[in-house]
Amino acid sequence: MGFKLLVSLLHVGQVSAGMFSDFITMLTPPEDISTYGHKIMFLFNYITVMNVFYFTLVCIGLFGFSYLYSAKRNKTPEYTYGNRKKQLKVTLIIGLAVFCTVDSVITVTANNDLVNTFWKFPESDDPETIKVQVLAQQWMWHFRLAGNDKVFNTDDDIVTANHLHLPIGKKIVFQLTSKDVIHSFFLPNARVKIDAMPGRISRIWVEFTKSGDFEIACAEMCGTHHYLMKAKMTLYDPDDFQYWESEAAKFAYQENDTGTVDSYWGWKWESNR
Amino acid sequence: MKVLVHAHDAPNTFLSKYIISYDHKVIAKQFLWLGMVFLAIGGLMAMLIRWTLANPGVPMPFFGHLLFPNSGGVVPPDSYAMLFTEHGTIMIFWAITPILIGAFGNLLIPLQIGARDMIFPTLNMLSFHFTFVSGVIMLLALCTPLGGAAGGWTAYPTLSLNLGSPGAGQTLWAIAIFLFGISSTMGAINYITTVICLRAPGMGYFDMPLAVWGLLLTAILNAIFVPVLGAGGLLLVFDRVFETQYFLAGAAATSGTGDPILFQHVFWIFGHPEVYILILPAWGIVSDLLSFFSRKPAFGYKATALSMCAITVLSTLVYGHHMFTTQMSPLLTQSFMTLTMTISIPSAIFFANWLGTLYKGSIRFTSPMLFSLGVVFVFGLGGLTGLYLGTTTTDFYLHDTYFVVGHFHYTMAASVFLAGFGAIYFWWPKMYGTMLNERLAKAHFWATILPLNGVFMGMMMMGYAGMHRRLYNPFIYDFLKKLIPMNNFVTTCAILMGFAQIFFITNLIWTYFKGEQASDNPWEVGTLEWTTPSPVPHYNFKSIPIVKCGPHELGNPKLTTGRDFQYQTEELVEV
Repeated sequence: MGFKLLVSLLHVGQVSAGMFSDFITMLTPPEDISTYGHKIMFLFNYITVMNVFYFTLVCIGLFGFSYLYSAKRNKTPEYTYGNRKKQLKVTLIIGLAVFCTVDSVITVTANNDLVNTFWKFPESDDPETIKVQVLAQQWMWHFRLAGNDKVFNTDDDIVTANHLHLPIGKKIVFQLTSKDVIHSFFLPNARVKIDAMPGRISRIWVEFTKSGDFEIACAEMCGTHHYLMKAKMTLYDPDDFQYWESEAAKFAYQENDTGTVDSYWGWKWESNR
Repeated sequence: MKVLVHAHDAPNTFLSKYIISYDHKVIAKQFLWLGMVFLAIGGLMAMLIRWTLANPGVPMPFFGHLLFPNSGGVVPPDSYAMLFTEHGTIMIFWAITPILIGAFGNLLIPLQIGARDMIFPTLNMLSFHFTFVSGVIMLLALCTPLGGAAGGWTAYPTLSLNLGSPGAGQTLWAIAIFLFGISSTMGAINYITTVICLRAPGMGYFDMPLAVWGLLLTAILNAIFVPVLGAGGLLLVFDRVFETQYFLAGAAATSGTGDPILFQHVFWIFGHPEVYILILPAWGIVSDLLSFFSRKPAFGYKATALSMCAITVLSTLVYGHHMFTTQMSPLLTQSFMTLTMTISIPSAIFFANWLGTLYKGSIRFTSPMLFSLGVVFVFGLGGLTGLYLGTTTTDFYLHDTYFVVGHFHYTMAASVFLAGFGAIYFWWPKMYGTMLNERLAKAHFWATILPLNGVFMGMMMMGYAGMHRRLYNPFIYDFLKKLIPMNNFVTTCAILMGFAQIFFITNLIWTYFKGEQASDNPWEVGTLEWTTPSPVPHYNFKSIPIVKCGPHELGNPKLTTGRDFQYQTEELVEV
């Protein structure tokens, strides 16, 4: 009898552990395939630890005091406004604790990440850098690689729609704009997004570490079919990419309709500040 | 200073009672009912949104065929965009604002500072009428040929210009917002002036209940920033109707001088203080209620009031954290991030004072107290999750995801409405002279707060998993397909929370027919409104009260009156 109970308990445990791990898998962010995504996740986790700590304190106070000092258990309340000295102490301790453990750590770390990583664009004339121009419109993405002459907005540009081909292990710089409304270029697998805005050029750089097929999303409400504004991103090993690029370059002249002004939506590459 | 108050008769006729009234108590009731009607409309819209997210392409049961006959009961994508736009706009401007600021501002400010009415009764009346008209325009916009506004409640150009949303709907949206802005500005001027000029003799600023503090600071923010929103809305109307190009850029721009990001700056200069406009009255009310039902003075009253002031000032300096992904200048990005972080310090002091009030109290778990404790829990979660979004790098990932949606619902929706319900249960006797049923009120609380956390916590988890906002069908994306069960869970919780409001409606109906008469001071607290009979008579006070002590004189052991509290009109009994 006892044994049977134990077995069935174990079984329940197994099933619920399975459900728990399914739950965790469901809520895991998409795989990080960028060189810097872990920095964002680190800060996320740090804030989570701090939040859990402070929220636990709040809950201890909230539920603990509610339990201990309910009218049933504590008939006579303590008559106090909290004297000035105590008040100042509480204020100072809490203010300092929050400032030191949360505010300053987060601000400094985030600022360092911004200055040393996210805003540190590779040199514009570095030949190893891949440059991509992105034009967003309702409801699709256009991508433009400079092609053989390394100059944008010429006949040999490799232009693709809703499908981006890129190598891994190289720094990639995007310059983005939009034809109509504001869109947002969201790379869930790299943990970053940047708005594509009409009349402006925004920039972002990224380096991928894993080949395969991934998704690009539009994260800014851009009209009725916002939800359909999805693009595919195929990442190759550097050699494979070179092969793809040379093959694509062969068709570039055929595919770019040189008679249409519209196909010259590219712009002169702007240097990275 | 001698101030003349506009004299008017007691509201006796139907017209003066329900339509054209100068009486602050009647206007408070008008705002309350308007807010509750719009709350119901906005809530039903939320149900449609949630249904679509959990079951994209599946006809909605019951209402589907009535509302969307052309698509066989399925919410179509364009209607979906209208639904989330109107849900946001209605909830913020025509549900929270009328209930928390319109109704309780009007009810509490004169009663709690010992005045007979607002200082500008006509302005007060007009303020309600403008809100009413603007709300009607907002709803009528849905009936225009191309439907209502569909660019999100933020209405970012160029999507909100003719280029992105043709038709009259978006124009009417901007006009409604402008009219609403006029109403709020009138209300704000009235509140500020009333608090400054009409406080009863003896009532210093630090003798006011914290609810009045919250409402005063809200009114100050309203007076400064709502006109900015009005300006933005008007420029939007110009762009749409007169074809100016303030916000137009891209292929359609001919002059080349407009900039859609300009609107974002204008919008968020207003938009961030707006968050505090909505939450400050709730904070004030909760701070008072916690003290009243712990039967002891509010811990650190002055520190609480000053933290509220500090947050009010800081709230005007942080709006840029809504725009990190627009690639502002690095200097702006860094400054806005740093300033945003500093808000955590006064907020932490706030929480410490709330818990300090509970400490060694003698807590009565009445329904208003339950709702107040709920606010502490819910706002704790909402406030802390703001840290992720104020940090620029984590915001790169979380911006425009469901994490943001969960976060701002915790702060702006959950805590504000919980405080609103608490206030309704608490001050109902002063408004209508009857007590709402406590048992139903407690059932309402528990049935609301449990699914509420399921909904908004679920949303934050989905956002962390990468699901972005305003998607008609998120499962177009492969990496979001695994979130179908989570969306189902959130929708189930949302529907449960919707049904929980039946307790509230039942309570109102039951009380209307069978509610017991309230005594003058059923909750045994000492602020000025409880020195008047229930319901409060015309002109509130027989003679203007003279204030002799603070608002939270509870639990003084030296009291000899047989009560455990002191009215503010009584000489302070020294310990």
